[in-house]
Amino acid sequence: MKTNDALMSSHMPFSAMAASGTSGMPEPVRRHKRSDLSAMGEPQSWIMGAALVLGLTMIVGFLGYIITIGALTFWPKPIETVTLADGKIIAGEVFRSDTYKPPAELLASRTAEVRAKVEQDLGYANRTLYRVGNFDLYGEDFVWVPDFDSKSVTYDKDLFYIERQEWGPFIGRITQLDMAGVQTANPSQEELQKASDAARKRKAEIFRLDGVEIAGINHELDKLRLKERRAVLTYGAGSKEAADVAAEVARESDELRAKYAVFEAEVTKLRQEDERFTVTLETVDKQTKTLPVSNLVRFYQANNLTTADKWSIYGSRWAEFVTAQPREANTEGGVVPAIVGTLTMMVLLSLAVAPFGVITALYLREYAQQGYLVSFIRICVNNLAGVPSIVYGVFGLGFFCYILGGSIDQLFYPERLPSPTFGTGGVLWASLTLALLTVPVVIVSTEEALSAVPRSMREGSLACGASKWQTIWRIVLPRAAPGIMTGLILAMARGAGEVAPLMIVGVVKLAPELPIDFTAPFVHFERSFMHLGFHIYDVGFQSRNSEAGRPMVLVTTLVLILLVLCLNAFAIYVRNRLKKAYNVGAF
Amino acid sequence: MAAFDTGSARAASGSILYERPKKTKSSVLFTDAFAKYGISIGGTLVIFAVFTIMIFLVYVASPLLDAGSVTGTKKYTLGVQADGVVETQIDEYQSLALDLTLSGKVAAFHPGTGKKIEAPGFDLAGQSATAFASTLRGDDVLFGFADGTVKTGRFVIRNDFVPLTPVPPGLSRLDERDETDGKAIYTKIIGQYRKVSVETKLDAPVQIADAGVAIVRADYRVGGTLERPLRTFVTLDATGKLRLSQAATRLNLETGEPETEVFNSAIPITVPAESVKKILLNTPGDRVLVAQRDGTIFRYNTKDFSKPELAETFKVLPDGVELTALTYLNAENSIVVGGSDGSVAIWFGVDRKTKDTTDGFVTTKVHADFEKQPAAITEIRVSQRTRMFTTSDAKGNVWLRHGTTERTLLQMPGTPDATGLVGTILAPKDDAVLSLGRNGEVYLWAVRVPHPETTLQSAFGKVWYEGYDEPQYVWQSTASTDAAEPKLSLVPLIFGTFKAAIYSLMLAIPIALLAAIYTSEFVHPRTRAVVKPVMELMATLPSVVVGFVAALVLSPIVENWIAAVVIAFAVIPLTLITASYVWQLLPSPVSNALDGVPKLIAYFLAIGAAIWLSVLSGPYIEVMFFDGDFKKWTAGQGSGQPFLFLMLTPLSFLITYLALRPVFNATYRLRLRDMTRFEAAVRELLSWGLFAALALGLAWFASVGMSQIGWDVRGGFVDTYVQRNALVVAFAIAFAEIPIIYTISEDALSAVPAYLRSGSLACGASRWQTTSWIVLPTAASGIFSAIMIGLGRAVGETMIVVMATGNTPILDTNVFNGLRTLSANINVELPEAVRDSTLYRTLFLCALVLFVMTFVINTIAEIVRQQYRKRAAQL
Repeated sequence: MKTNDALMSSHMPFSAMAASGTSGMPEPVRRHKRSDLSAMGEPQSWIMGAALVLGLTMIVGFLGYIITIGALTFWPKPIETVTLADGKIIAGEVFRSDTYKPPAELLASRTAEVRAKVEQDLGYANRTLYRVGNFDLYGEDFVWVPDFDSKSVTYDKDLFYIERQEWGPFIGRITQLDMAGVQTANPSQEELQKASDAARKRKAEIFRLDGVEIAGINHELDKLRLKERRAVLTYGAGSKEAADVAAEVARESDELRAKYAVFEAEVTKLRQEDERFTVTLETVDKQTKTLPVSNLVRFYQANNLTTADKWSIYGSRWAEFVTAQPREANTEGGVVPAIVGTLTMMVLLSLAVAPFGVITALYLREYAQQGYLVSFIRICVNNLAGVPSIVYGVFGLGFFCYILGGSIDQLFYPERLPSPTFGTGGVLWASLTLALLTVPVVIVSTEEALSAVPRSMREGSLACGASKWQTIWRIVLPRAAPGIMTGLILAMARGAGEVAPLMIVGVVKLAPELPIDFTAPFVHFERSFMHLGFHIYDVGFQSRNSEAGRPMVLVTTLVLILLVLCLNAFAIYVRNRLKKAYNVGAF
Repeated sequence: MAAFDTGSARAASGSILYERPKKTKSSVLFTDAFAKYGISIGGTLVIFAVFTIMIFLVYVASPLLDAGSVTGTKKYTLGVQADGVVETQIDEYQSLALDLTLSGKVAAFHPGTGKKIEAPGFDLAGQSATAFASTLRGDDVLFGFADGTVKTGRFVIRNDFVPLTPVPPGLSRLDERDETDGKAIYTKIIGQYRKVSVETKLDAPVQIADAGVAIVRADYRVGGTLERPLRTFVTLDATGKLRLSQAATRLNLETGEPETEVFNSAIPITVPAESVKKILLNTPGDRVLVAQRDGTIFRYNTKDFSKPELAETFKVLPDGVELTALTYLNAENSIVVGGSDGSVAIWFGVDRKTKDTTDGFVTTKVHADFEKQPAAITEIRVSQRTRMFTTSDAKGNVWLRHGTTERTLLQMPGTPDATGLVGTILAPKDDAVLSLGRNGEVYLWAVRVPHPETTLQSAFGKVWYEGYDEPQYVWQSTASTDAAEPKLSLVPLIFGTFKAAIYSLMLAIPIALLAAIYTSEFVHPRTRAVVKPVMELMATLPSVVVGFVAALVLSPIVENWIAAVVIAFAVIPLTLITASYVWQLLPSPVSNALDGVPKLIAYFLAIGAAIWLSVLSGPYIEVMFFDGDFKKWTAGQGSGQPFLFLMLTPLSFLITYLALRPVFNATYRLRLRDMTRFEAAVRELLSWGLFAALALGLAWFASVGMSQIGWDVRGGFVDTYVQRNALVVAFAIAFAEIPIIYTISEDALSAVPAYLRSGSLACGASRWQTTSWIVLPTAASGIFSAIMIGLGRAVGETMIVVMATGNTPILDTNVFNGLRTLSANINVELPEAVRDSTLYRTLFLCALVLFVMTFVINTIAEIVRQQYRKRAAQL
């Protein structure tokens, strides 16, 4: 009996337990006060709880890592001057350090003492990655220094960290400033700053002439060329109309070319002027380099900064990041084109996905005959949300770019063929592809929102004599709006984070022109664009030196993550509001 | 506002101030109807559009299986005696065709109409050649003469571009495209004329055989560069002497004139000259094949020019069948053999490392499954771009075949000439076949064979490619040279897809499921309200970010600490279980008070301790177990036993558990009940220690025993370490899977009605017992669907895989090696693929396979989930 009872409480299925409870035994059953410890399943709950904690740690740790690293990237770091065991001197920012196993060949060239030390640490040693810059002189920006190689570390106050337009940063001293012949040795920070500000003005003027005026003329010339070609295609070669157009085009082109020559001369003059203002830089191992002042982007004595200086450098780097064009194959400068591209695509995507998603959900929920067919369709729609994004990308390329875009080119842009206008990847096709990808998300969440509108509200409306559409338009849709919004925001968040299909339908490494600009028609659907997600992939994996691009990648990642997280948080917030509204309102 | 008027309303309205309109406003009705139809049509269209994806993928991929078609046939009589034709040529635009006879006469004509054009011949000084050879392209030719000399020469089909004005004199129209002035063909293209004409060049004679001894067989190849061609030829003279000759042309620095020097080397041959049907040479000149009429082929290795040696003798045809045609396929590795019985087979050398041949290569019959032609094969001509070739038989049938797939692509319509055809040639763009009849008629078949190299077999089955030892599944879309063919098997990709998915699921399922159970059954609802959205946040991480972190941050860490990572798989669970037994030592008021968030912190600390322990012990473990270097260990250094021990541990725990169950029975548990909580906890801790020691010991002994027998996990799913490997990918994809599996299974568990739980708890079952006996079985199908959806997500993951694996399309279960998934493959290759090319369509096929795979997985999951929802609602 005793055994039986014990078994029951721990292992017997419920039916048996219930049976024994009602059997009405005459003899009073002796019940144990304590339950058997093994029945509590402490080890099991530890394993499960640990799994949960592991999951939470993964996500929190991941986000924490990205946010910390991303936020710290732009903080100015001190420059360490390291004397190596072989007497060489390097100076650089500490990039990171880790523990590794030095290869045998490396150890063989070191002293027995070092070997013994590494041996003692089971073959592991610490090393530090220095960003030494000066790529044009050294041929590499980064140097790994094993701890056993570093003899002494000093922090020299007069070392500059100089960000340049080309060749990445320079680390060293500024020995001379040459202001069009007026030379100053060891110039002070103020003098340099003044020179640099003046140089920046010159540079801005050159940039304006080059990028706005001359580019504008080129654009006009291209338009004229296309006009001529179009006339030939429309009226036939050698026709009178075509000849007229050609003559007109030739006249206008000549005017433009004359203007072009003026601007070009001006630019050349400015450039020559600019080259007369130079600085001479010197590395810690006494190599020198002279370059125009206008080539300097930012310079500071890294070991001689007050906290306020550091904050101002930090701020100015962020400002550059969100307002400037990329430089140096995207590994320096800003990400404006990527931000504009991502946002343009998100807006186009939501414009495309909202009506279609809502109409479909309305159809499924309000109009379609509920039955097997509709529940089958619903399953399919749910599934489509699980179809890999790359499949949509393939479809987008084959259908939108090649078939739709190709036909549009044939019909409307024959003068540009064979170079495609719409017949290749572009922001419109990318948005439509992502719209297709996210339409199931919108359908599902809209349907949920529609079904959350209490039946009584519809019935009340219909009872008042409203037609079905009036009920939907005035009663149902306003109540469902937050839910629809949630779906849309989630779709946009997905669009912002999705990269794989975009790589096929229009994202590029470096877009010469933004999809939105100040030339008519302002929004250029056919242009390829840059995207934050692709920027990460490209700079992190495709660039010349992925290490040099890493700060850029980390900060871009931070921006992208924040964008996606904000959108999702907003969606969750809206959804919770919605839930609350109906918990009160439903009766 | 609309209103439906009713009878009663009318009756009651004796003295109303205004009368409501009796009818609904037509605008309202219109809007309503418009909305109804608009929405219905719009909704149906969107649904239809979404389904179009699949139809479109099928539409693009399906032409892959199309063998092609003959799109046009032209026949005309050229009026020349075509007998004696040894060579035919056609240019890539099909503007000009020509044939060549043994006496060096060249007849050029317009292939579209048969209109003859003036063309210079080869001036053989009235001699007629006794042997003729040409390169595979056919534009470099060699004539051998009865006096023992040879002359090399070449056709140059020139493409010149001339302006439209002034119009070249004397043009007359041939067809809608081409015009001619009698010497060249003019084609109007954008802005200019393309002028196609032919020139011939003949080099000075070279005395090869003894004077007066006729050359009877020859073969000729031109290698080197355009500026410094290296001409190699092999000749057989009437006395049975086989010679390999190289003619190098270089500029004489003093005179500035090109000088030609010829080197000869005698190849030992034992058979009479009459029995030799054909000799074959390859472009580098390091292999000579001498084929006899009975099908015996002697392969000479001439890598050492001065000392050729017989490498191998093999017979390509059964006795009684005569060898009637033999040539190299494009790339000159495979030979195509045609027999008098109409059979066709492909042979190439396979490196068997055997002693039977001097270089270890054995020429093997690789493709023999070709359809037989009704008569003896008389001529085989190969494509210059692909592994296609035409076979002509004695009855005049011309078939177009593909070598690797063994497929007969097209049979040229009609049996044009029962006496057989000569001079068949495949146009350079593989878009036409030209044949000459013996009576001077010309056949031109326009053919369209867009994707000859793909069949279902090549996409999903094993194919024996040139240079491989056996049929294999290979994906190699871009070859290093033009001569190598693309290899487009989807199997390594599908394998890679599942490899990534399964390894990542092995990590994700335990974490996600256990976490879901804990969230749903063990934590306070308020904690749950925080924990669940945080876990769901994981799903919103863009995969490019996860991939970036996995590849650039995680993979170096894993590589450096691989021993610690491997050991952590054992250390973490063991530490946790031990910690739980230690936790039981706490008096119950304390442990009850700590239940909730403090316990979560305890878990966190335990995990932290376990990881710290792993990292700390990693180097020691590496030294003790893995020969001091894990990566070298995976490559085969040291003993496999310690890893076997790790692998056997879970199994031995299970076995020990089953074996010890009679000991830890109800009696044992009853005794536990009679103790105080502390005593029982101590007893439990000791039992666990004993149990773990036993299990570990068992695993150790088993592993020692197994490695004595010679078992080693290495070579299977543990092998040479690569930095971007499946383990790292599994970690990264787990990020994508965990939130999905977690959320859906948590939903399923929460959907179990509360009264089932309450009932169980009221009967005295503990929370754990309720969970394992009541909740889990009820929610099992929901959990299953969660796992399926997680699988679907893993299968389609793209960016993570692109970034974190080496993208190596190999069939290898090794967890430390890379992989390439279908999605990554599309992502990597599609931007480079030319529209409508074979690769492009094959990538659409990849997308289709992926689509179907995920669709099936998701549909199963979705149906199971809906069933479960219904059942949970009914409970």
